[in-house]
Amino acid sequence: MAAQPKPLPAHQPSYLEGGGILGWLTTIDHKRVAVMYLVSALFFLALGGFEAMAIRVQLWRPDNHALSAAVYNAFFTMHGTTMIFLVVMPLLLGFFGNFLIPLQIGARDVAFPRLNALSFWLALVAGILLHLGWIRGGLPDAGWFGYANLTERYFTPGLAIDWWAIGLLVSGTSTVLTGLNFLTTIVAMRAPGMTYMRMPMFMWSLMVTSILILIAFPALTIGLIFLLFDRFFGTHFYVASAGATPILWQHLFWLFGHPEVYIMALPAFGIISEVIPTFSRKPLFGYPMMAYSICLIAFLSYGVWGHHMFATGMGPVADSAFAITSMLIAIPTGVKIFSWIATIWGGSLRMTTAFYFALGMILEFTLGGLSGIMHASAPIDLQQTDSYFVVAHFHYVLFGGVMFTIMAAFYYWWPKISGRMLGERLGKWHFWLTVIGFNLTFFPMHFLGMWGMPRRTYTYGADMGWTNLNQLETIGAFILAVAFLLFYVNIFKSLSSREERAPADPWDGRSLEWSTASPPPAYNFATIPQIRGRDAWWILKYGRAGSRGVAAYMSGQAPSQPQPDQPVSVEDIHMPAPSIFPLVLSLGVGVIGLGLIIDWYRIILIGAAVTVLSIVGMGFEYADFGEQSHDPEHAPSSGGVDVRKIGLWSFIGSECVFFASLISTFIVYKSRSLAGPGPKILNIPLTSFSTFVLLMSSLLMVLALAATQRGDKRWERIWLAGVVTFGLIFLGGQVYEFTSFYNEGMGLTTNLFSQSFFVLVGFHGAHVAIGVLWLSVLWVAAMTGKLGKSRALSVELAGLYWHFVDVVWIIIFTLVYLMQAVPGA
Amino acid sequence: MIGRGSNRYSTAAIAIQVAIALAIAGCSAAGHPMTTLAPKSNLAQWIQTLFIEVTVWDAIILAIVVFAFILAVFVFSSRVGEAAPASTASSDLGLEIAWTLGPTLVLVMISVPTIRTIFRSQPVVAPAGALEIKVVAHQWWWEFDYPDGAKTSNEPHIPVDRPIRLSLESADIIHSFWVPQLGGKRDVVPGQINELTFMATVPGMYPGQCAEFCGLSHANMRFRVFVDSPDDFAKWDRAQLAGPAAIPAGDLLASNGAKVFANSPCTTCHMIQGISKGYIGPDLTHFASRTTLAAGVLKNTPENVAKWIGNPQETKPGANMPALLLPGPKMNALVAYLEGLK
Repeated sequence: MAAQPKPLPAHQPSYLEGGGILGWLTTIDHKRVAVMYLVSALFFLALGGFEAMAIRVQLWRPDNHALSAAVYNAFFTMHGTTMIFLVVMPLLLGFFGNFLIPLQIGARDVAFPRLNALSFWLALVAGILLHLGWIRGGLPDAGWFGYANLTERYFTPGLAIDWWAIGLLVSGTSTVLTGLNFLTTIVAMRAPGMTYMRMPMFMWSLMVTSILILIAFPALTIGLIFLLFDRFFGTHFYVASAGATPILWQHLFWLFGHPEVYIMALPAFGIISEVIPTFSRKPLFGYPMMAYSICLIAFLSYGVWGHHMFATGMGPVADSAFAITSMLIAIPTGVKIFSWIATIWGGSLRMTTAFYFALGMILEFTLGGLSGIMHASAPIDLQQTDSYFVVAHFHYVLFGGVMFTIMAAFYYWWPKISGRMLGERLGKWHFWLTVIGFNLTFFPMHFLGMWGMPRRTYTYGADMGWTNLNQLETIGAFILAVAFLLFYVNIFKSLSSREERAPADPWDGRSLEWSTASPPPAYNFATIPQIRGRDAWWILKYGRAGSRGVAAYMSGQAPSQPQPDQPVSVEDIHMPAPSIFPLVLSLGVGVIGLGLIIDWYRIILIGAAVTVLSIVGMGFEYADFGEQSHDPEHAPSSGGVDVRKIGLWSFIGSECVFFASLISTFIVYKSRSLAGPGPKILNIPLTSFSTFVLLMSSLLMVLALAATQRGDKRWERIWLAGVVTFGLIFLGGQVYEFTSFYNEGMGLTTNLFSQSFFVLVGFHGAHVAIGVLWLSVLWVAAMTGKLGKSRALSVELAGLYWHFVDVVWIIIFTLVYLMQAVPGA
Repeated sequence: MIGRGSNRYSTAAIAIQVAIALAIAGCSAAGHPMTTLAPKSNLAQWIQTLFIEVTVWDAIILAIVVFAFILAVFVFSSRVGEAAPASTASSDLGLEIAWTLGPTLVLVMISVPTIRTIFRSQPVVAPAGALEIKVVAHQWWWEFDYPDGAKTSNEPHIPVDRPIRLSLESADIIHSFWVPQLGGKRDVVPGQINELTFMATVPGMYPGQCAEFCGLSHANMRFRVFVDSPDDFAKWDRAQLAGPAAIPAGDLLASNGAKVFANSPCTTCHMIQGISKGYIGPDLTHFASRTTLAAGVLKNTPENVAKWIGNPQETKPGANMPALLLPGPKMNALVAYLEGLK
């Protein structure tokens, strides 16, 4: 950046130094956010581990009474929910993803640092909400998959499911914001010269994972919204006696739930693809195939949710289709395993603990993958599903595949993150105890499953022949617990040791994060390097031809190693200012959730006020912030498109799935009502008029943007006012429509048609209302002269959103209103 | 294809298959009454055959991966600091095509019998001569209604070598019907009727259990299927169709028990033909003909019956049946009466 290198400052403060407690609470530095994710995830890991141990103690012998049925059910529910939502995803995405994305692509921070902090605080609030049942109402106890209609208030009264549903809703929101942020960052903020095909494989996996998050989580959100409507407002989305089907939940849940498996597995594949080349001193074998196979796995994962539902009676055609798509996933997964082995082949191996865990992952994950092929074969699955065979299968995938990877990642990146090494000797103990404990716990489960032991049962009979293996598993679980204890000890020892400082590049690494100090300074890189190929740092160290570089290395000849990250003009680097609003906003959201559940309206109002005020506060901060020149949020991206635009497009992509889920539900349910009004009640002439108004508002929006772009302040104000007015007319029409339906006797809970109509059209109305609010703020800015040509992008973004909402309305108008006028539809 | 036993395939492949089948059968030796590996119906047999085929392919793939892994880590690589320089090969088109196409071929080999079995095991209409039984799952017990009007709970009898067609309905939430030795699971979903078709091939008693988490006492929703010879089945069926067994003359205890029953809240939920009309809980007309109570959790002994009636929550947490607090003599009389309902 700066042409003239200035003298090195005596000491570059690392990102960990300074700021005090307030500095951490208000931080928006991706590295500090990552560390906060780490602390919360390590806490929840201990909690989820405790629940697992309690489960194993209860299963020690038949007819045991160590835990009651109620506690056992709560523990297996919370073990799954905790490990997936509060441990594995936060560790892979929140911790390693957050820390490494900017460092591996050569950026100073993520695209939206404040949003990133908000993601963390929301995730923490979600974790707390999920556990408030300890204090009041009991822990959630319907399984992590929470199958309807067991979760209906009639079958599970009390607050437990409410905590669960609202906790997951907040957690999902946090994850979607993370996905949006990561996708935008990786697409837009790569260092110059880092093309897609030069990115580290971990970045590939996180980019694709982010897309999966954006399109998978809305399905869960919709499922949870229906559940909450059923529980709070008396609708019947999952109630068979009202004509609905509880299977709807399974479709929505697994449409999210299977991609979710890959949201956890793909980042792990990415990490393994970083660790293995480093410790084999070889480039990753088959890089293009590795990247494509990630994409293919993600694509296929969206079409296999039915393999969780073979037993529900979908019929032989659907069973066959889902069997085949599920089997297809084995092909790209096999490519990954073989390519990892080929990377090791012929390498110069450095047998570190990180590499041990990576090697362990290859074998354990292969076992999980192979039993997965069995489940893809629907008839076999009918014997194995919901038995301990499945428990064995997914623990080989999620523990053997993902947890082993997380451990490899800890030993690999901990020096970079903390500036200290983890003990290798202790690490080897940790590894071998993990291998022994893990296989002793989970391998016998294959046999228990084949011998017919169903999962999620708090007790079993002595005459079933399951006792011995259960005891073996409990012993294994205790060995595994000791292994985890060693891991915590290792972390503690490394942090408390005074001597051993980690060098910048302890493993002779290949990617950019090893070029900066350990731990890195807040701004990551003083100069953003020019990228000349894959393994960017390796090329900087050894030159382009890897073999020559290695040969030089082997002969003891020092490579022409550039000074790691020469700081040039540190004072010129402006990082975004800290903000307290992400924390306050999340607290507000948490308080709303709390108030909803304990049914105390004043608390909801307080929470809503805090939330709204912090959104306003963040908005003002953002507006001020926009004036600074080094603001990463305003940096032009590698593709020349503003990051905000990419972020909004990502959001719109996610919203498509949100509305698609709502619309599909409406289409399935509209004619299943048992009584009451149906589509004939719809007033098509009136809606045609408001549709026309909404479409015209899009036209005015185009005109407003054109006026702003040419600097025409007068017409900018007029057109913006026009859009807002037309939006308000549309909303007024909707209020009139809803009121007249209500007067004709069609309320929210009247029948399936009414509830799916009101929820679909109501959520669209809410989107219009948010758009009107957004445009009103712009109009006020225009009236006070703050908009203008230089801020045309603000108008463009609002316009994008507005057009999207209008397009959704065209689809709703066609499918909901016009289709009922077509005979036979 | 391995497993079809066609003579086009080498005897070696068949030998492998037999060896694995024996190994699996060995693991499933007696003592595991809910094993999936000892099929006693055509459906379970089809699944078993498919399972062995896939296991063989899995074993082959695993062997290849482990072999390549061992070669890569222990043979064709050096340790850092050793003389041999690292190879820089980072792609090989031939290899990559091989490990894409190889698994694809294996999957084709697996998917063909998979789809065949899917269609074979889900006939659209019931096979000719099938016995059609309605199964209603409740939290947490099973009700079985026979076409001739016979009715039982948790212990259905079926004839051997005759197709069985179960229509599965739920009275409350989702459950799953599973008798491992007779075949795979079929969920019981409120608002829809699922079907399960099979033909038992060996007489015997086969335990089953609900396999979809259904709340507090999911673990206590067990049952037993008795596969009878045609004669035994006809006998059982006739007995079930008859009214309740008469109380032997002079059995004062049992006749007292009958009075206790008739005046107890039991009648609200339980039916004994000609005596009470409850239908919420299991039909007790032939209570004593069953070997277990509380959905397969307790053996049907007088002590257990008294224990169950006095405190159902202890055996089955969350059960809808309220505790019936009776003084000792009355309880003994009630138990004696119930245990006489053969």
